[in-house]
Amino acid sequence: MGRPQWRLQDARVVVLGVVMILAWAGIGYRLFQVQGADAAMLSQRGFDQRVRHEEILPKRGTIYDRDGIELAVTIYGSSLVADPALIDDPAGAAAVIGPLIGANIADVAVKLESEGRYVPLARQLEHAEEEVLATAIEEAGLDGFTFVEEPVRIYPSGTLAAPVVGLTRLDDGAGIEGIEAIMDGALAGRPGSRIVERDAAGRAIPQGELLIEPAIPGSDVILTLDREIQHTSELALGAAIEEGALGGSVIVMDPSSGKILAMVSLPSFDPNDRSALDPATLRNRAVADVYEPGSTLKVVAVAGALELGIVGPTTMIETPHEITIGNEVFEDHSELPGAMTVADVVAKSSNVGTIEIQRRLGNERHYAFLDAFGLGRPASIDFNPEAAGRLDHYSAWCYSTCGASAAIGYGIGATPLQMAGVYATIANDGEWVEPHVVAEIIGPDGERVVSEPRRRHVVSAETAGLIRQMLLGVVEGGTGRRARIDGFSVGGKTGTSVKFDVEEGVYSEDETIAWFVGIAPIDDPAIVIVVVLDAPTGLLDDGTELKFGGASAAPVFAEIAESVLHQLGVTPDKD
Amino acid sequence: MTMLEPTPQPITLLQRERPMRPDLALVASYIALSVLGLLMVYTASAPRLIDLGLNPTQDLERQGVFVVVGFIAFAVVSAFDVRHLRRWVPVIYAASMLTLLVVLTPLGRTVQGAQRWIDLGPLGQFQPAELAKVAVIVALAGLLALKPRALRWDSIVRAVVVVAIPAFLIFKQPDLGTMLAFGIIAMVILFVAGATWRQMAALMVAAAVGAVVLFQVGAIRQYQVERLTAFLDANSDVLGAQYNLQQSEIAIGTGGLFGKGLFNGTQTNLRFVPEQSSDFIFTAVGEQLGFVGAVIVLSLFAILLWRILVASLHARDRFGQLVAVGAAALITFHVFVNVGMTVGVMPITGLPLPFMSAGGTAFIAMSIALGMAHSIWLRRSPVPGERAFDHAQAP
Repeated sequence: MGRPQWRLQDARVVVLGVVMILAWAGIGYRLFQVQGADAAMLSQRGFDQRVRHEEILPKRGTIYDRDGIELAVTIYGSSLVADPALIDDPAGAAAVIGPLIGANIADVAVKLESEGRYVPLARQLEHAEEEVLATAIEEAGLDGFTFVEEPVRIYPSGTLAAPVVGLTRLDDGAGIEGIEAIMDGALAGRPGSRIVERDAAGRAIPQGELLIEPAIPGSDVILTLDREIQHTSELALGAAIEEGALGGSVIVMDPSSGKILAMVSLPSFDPNDRSALDPATLRNRAVADVYEPGSTLKVVAVAGALELGIVGPTTMIETPHEITIGNEVFEDHSELPGAMTVADVVAKSSNVGTIEIQRRLGNERHYAFLDAFGLGRPASIDFNPEAAGRLDHYSAWCYSTCGASAAIGYGIGATPLQMAGVYATIANDGEWVEPHVVAEIIGPDGERVVSEPRRRHVVSAETAGLIRQMLLGVVEGGTGRRARIDGFSVGGKTGTSVKFDVEEGVYSEDETIAWFVGIAPIDDPAIVIVVVLDAPTGLLDDGTELKFGGASAAPVFAEIAESVLHQLGVTPDKD
Repeated sequence: MTMLEPTPQPITLLQRERPMRPDLALVASYIALSVLGLLMVYTASAPRLIDLGLNPTQDLERQGVFVVVGFIAFAVVSAFDVRHLRRWVPVIYAASMLTLLVVLTPLGRTVQGAQRWIDLGPLGQFQPAELAKVAVIVALAGLLALKPRALRWDSIVRAVVVVAIPAFLIFKQPDLGTMLAFGIIAMVILFVAGATWRQMAALMVAAAVGAVVLFQVGAIRQYQVERLTAFLDANSDVLGAQYNLQQSEIAIGTGGLFGKGLFNGTQTNLRFVPEQSSDFIFTAVGEQLGFVGAVIVLSLFAILLWRILVASLHARDRFGQLVAVGAAALITFHVFVNVGMTVGVMPITGLPLPFMSAGGTAFIAMSIALGMAHSIWLRRSPVPGERAFDHAQAP
C-alpha cells in the first residue's frame, strides 16, 4: 500500500477545485472591470449623486417704518423636502403629511411616488410648524423626509399698510407688490453659492461643504410711514367705508419734505395669510387709481391766474347760475350771488366762476400750470405701478369746452398721490416736492442712502399763500365746513366727480368719487391729507347726501388731521 | 495553537500516530478574515451610530463577541473527532429541523417581511437556517458515506428528501438564497459521493421543473423572481433592488485600485449602500481598500478553500471527505453569490459574506463548518486517498 490511490471521489474533488478557481477568476475579472475600467465613471456617478451645487439664498432686507418698527422681516424657517427613493409606503406617508401641510392626501401621494430625489412638499414653514411635522414624521417612523432651511417672509404688522409694503412671491421670495417689488433690487441681496455633499437621505454633511461665494444680504429699507399715523388713518377711512362705500384711500404727507406719513388703500389684505388673498385688494388705490379730481383741481386754474396777475383775490368775477360754452351748459350746484371775489369763487366752489377765471388764463397757460403741478405723470419713483393719470396736451383740447372742463376737474385724470402733490405745493409756498415713501436704504455694510426728492418751483410763495387763505375760507365758511377741527386753522377743498366706468366707457348714474384735500395748520402747514371715497352712499343726519366730498370725505379728513396734528406735536394756532 | 495530546492507540496502517499540528494557513486565513471583518463592520457602522448619538463601537463590540464565540466553536470542533458525529446524524438533523419549525411559530421574529429569527432575549437573535446548513452537510455526508461508489437511485432520492425538508421550511420563511444554498451543497456532495453524470443531469432537470411548477402554482411570487433577476436588467427597479445594486457598484468602483482609505468611503459612510455592515460588507472593503483589498479578501477565501479541499483529499473516511467538501461548497457558494451581488453579476439574496458580515449565527455556523474540515485535516491519513471504507472494500 505504498502509492497514493486516486479514485473517483478524489478526482471529483479536484474538478470541484477547478470550478472554484474559475469562479474566483470570474469574480476577480468583474472586480477589475468595476474598480479598474469603470472606476472613474462609477466614481463620477457617486460624486454626482452626493455632491450638489447649491445656491445660498441671501437674507432679504427688512422694511421698517420711520421709527424702526418692522413692517416686513425675513426669519429662517424651512421647507419640507421628500426623497421618494427612500419612501416605502407613499400612500401611508401622504396620509400622515397631507393634513399637516394643508394639502390633499392624494396629491401628496402622487408627489411621493414621483421620480427624482428632491421633492419640496411644503414651503415657508415657521419653526413651530416644522416641529409639529417633525414630531409626526418621527412618530410614524417615516424615512425620506428632511427639512431644508429657507427664509420666510413675515409681516409683523399684519394688514397695516399692506398695499404699500406689498408682498413677496412664495417660490423665490422675489417682491411682487408694493415696496417689496419696487425696492426688490435693494431688498433681495445677492445669492451666494456652495458645493454641498449630501448623504443618502439628502442631509448635508458639515465637513463636506465648500463655500464658493457668500451670499450678500439685502439692504434694509426705512419708509417714511409712521405706524401710529398709518393706524389712525386706516381706522378713520375704514369707519367711513363701513358707512357705505366700495373703498377708498388716504394719503397723509409732510408738504415740506414730501414724506408720506401714511398711505391707506382699502379694502386691504393680510400678507401673512395667502390662502385668503383676494387679488383685487392688492392694488394700492392711492397711487394706482385714476379719478377725475373734480373741484379739488380748481386751485390750479386759480393759482395760475393769480400767479400771472390776471386776477387778484378780490377781483370780482361774474357768476351767473349757468353758462353755455359750445354745446355744453355748466351750472353751479347751489344758489350763489351773481358776482363774487376770486376768493369766494374758491370758497363756494363756483363752477361758473372758475370757468371764467380759466377762460382769462387760457388753455396754454392753464396746461403749463397743470403740468408744473405734476399732473399727467407719475408723481414718485417709489410706487409700481403708479398711474400717470391723464393730461392731454392743450393742443389736443377741444377749442371751448375742454378748457372749461379741465378748470373744474373733468377730462383730466389724477391719482390721489398727484393731488397730494398739488396741495403740498400750495402748502409748501409754491414748491413742488416729490412725494415719497422710501426714506432711506441701509446697505448690508451699514452704508445709508437717504432719499433726495426732486423739487421744482411752481408758483410764488405769495400766490401759494393767497390760495391757502382761500382754502381756509372753504373750510371756515364754504363747502368744506365738516373739515374743521378744534385748535387748528384748516384749509382744504372738497370735490365730487361723477364716477366714470372705465369698462363701460360711460359716466355712472349715481355713483361718485368723493374728495377732500386739506392742509393744516393753514399758515404754517405741517400736513397735507387727501381723502378719496369710492362711491359713498347714504345720508347725513341733516339730509346731506354722503356722495358729496364735503359730506363724506371732509369728516374723515377732520378725524385724521386732529389726531395726526396731536401725534406730531404741532402747536395749535387758534383757540 | 496546541491541540489535544494524541491518545495512545494501537498502531495500524490507518491510524498511525502523528502529532496533530494545526493547519496554519487555514487558521491564519480564518483569523485574518474575521479581524478584517470586524474592522469593516466598525468602519461601516460607526458613522451611522455617531449620527444617531449612540456608542460608535456598539456594533463592533457586538460582532466582537460573536467572533470570540466563533473562535471557541472552531477550536472545540477542531479538537473533536468529527468522524464520531456519524452516530449522531439523526439527532443533529432532527434538532435542526425542529428549530426551523420553531421559526415559523409565533416564537419566530419577523424582520422586513421575512420570518427568520428566534429571539433569545439577552443572547440576541438566533437564525436557525444558518446552523441548518451545517446540519444538512453532516446529514448528507452521513447518508452517503457508506454507500457503494456508484450511488443507486434510492440514495439520490433519500438525499433529495434530506435537503427538501429544510428547503421547504426555509421556503416558508421565505429565503430563496438559503434554499439555493441547500441545493448547491447537496449537488456538490452528491457529485463527490459518486453520483453518475446521468443522475446529476436528472437532478438538475428535476430542480428546473420544480422551480417552474412552484412558480406556476403561485408558490413563488413574481416579485421574488424579479428581485432575483433585477441584476440582469439595468432599467428595472424592483423594490429598490436595482437601486441597491447600483449603489453597491458605485461604492466599489469609487474605491478604484487602492481604495479611499478607512472611514473615507463616502458612498458607504453616507449610507447610499444599504445593509452595509451585513449583506453588503464587501462594498466597504471595495470602497475603502480598493481592488487590492478586495483581491486580498478573495485570496484569503481561496486559501481557506484550498486547505479544505486538501483536507477532503486526506480524509480518513468518506464521511469526513464529504463533510469537508460540504463545508467547501457552503463557503464557496456564499462568497461567490455575496461578492457577485455587490459587483452586479449575481442576484440580491440575503446570503452573508462568510466570516465578515455582521451577524452571530452565520459566523458561528461557518466557524463550525470550517472547524469540521480542520478536524478532518488534523486526523488525516498519512497516505492521501487511503480510506477506511475503501480499504475494507479492497480485496
